[in-house]
Amino acid sequence: MEADLVARLEEKERQLERYATDLRETFKAERKRAQELRASYMATVRALANAVEARDAYTGHHAERVAAYGLELARAAELPLARDQQTEFGFLLHDVGKVAVPDAILFKPAPLTDEERVLMEQHPIIGWEILRGIDFLGDAKLVVRHHHEHWDGTGYPDRLAGDEIPLAARVFAIADTLDALTTDRPYRPAGTFAAARAVIDAGAGTQFCPASVEALHRVSDERFEELRAGIAL
Amino acid sequence: MTRSVLIVDDDPFIRRLIATTLEDVAGFDIHEAGDGIEAIEVARATDPAIVFLDIDMPRMNGIEACRELRAIADGTIVMLTAAGREAEAEARAAGADLFLTKPFSPLDLLQLVDSLSES
Repeated sequence: MEADLVARLEEKERQLERYATDLRETFKAERKRAQELRASYMATVRALANAVEARDAYTGHHAERVAAYGLELARAAELPLARDQQTEFGFLLHDVGKVAVPDAILFKPAPLTDEERVLMEQHPIIGWEILRGIDFLGDAKLVVRHHHEHWDGTGYPDRLAGDEIPLAARVFAIADTLDALTTDRPYRPAGTFAAARAVIDAGAGTQFCPASVEALHRVSDERFEELRAGIAL
Repeated sequence: MTRSVLIVDDDPFIRRLIATTLEDVAGFDIHEAGDGIEAIEVARATDPAIVFLDIDMPRMNGIEACRELRAIADGTIVMLTAAGREAEAEARAAGADLFLTKPFSPLDLLQLVDSLSES
């Protein structure tokens, strides 16, 4: 009788071990799949961002640079969104809506007419519409829609002001301006980081979120140079 | 109509383990029985699509129960056999369809139920 009891206990033990082994293997497989999924999301987002940039020789690697600058600013501000893959997706895809802007407007070497400007200012909405059905992008879509909003409510497309503007979009606006001012354009050569900082500082509280401008002060020119060098290959 | 699964084992621990594993998976109603005689009573009342049937049980063992169940139920009978035991041929002769070796893998269990609920 006692031998039978021992045998039954051993049977239970073996059965539980089998469950534990399967659980561990399932967990490992699931973790590997999640990593693969993240990698393919990233590859997909990069491909889409590169396709948008392929049109414009002047802004080459702009998306990757602003993504790197923006994430650096988010880390400097100790924002949890710095660790969120969706933040990077949003930064990389911010201008995806420009696919719908005609070359004649996008590359016009002169100031835009009112009508052209209205069309140009549609690009955040168009980008948001393009990405709307993609669930894994999550809050990335908010960056796409709101990266041209201004802190004082004079930006576009929704004229959001202050805290109404999603935080990632506020941080991003600074990275975007920083890169625009420090890269060559058809109508002017690249400026220095110092000059770009002065422009952004002057816009704190009007165009830019003051706390995000603060974060810019915490990142050195050398760090931005380093990030830029890591991308311009 | 919801299909049902019948788990027959004299060890409540094993019954609970199988029931918990299958809960919410294929939308089956889950029933349990502790021996062959009880299994036949429950099978009459619930007409199970799948029966998991242990071999060593008091009152009426799994082989006998399998023979009786075959006569009253059309569902798939899955025998739970201990590794290294030679009861398979006997169980097959008694009408068993499939075998799951103890200690069984929960993944195999789930896959088995999945494939049966698809067919």
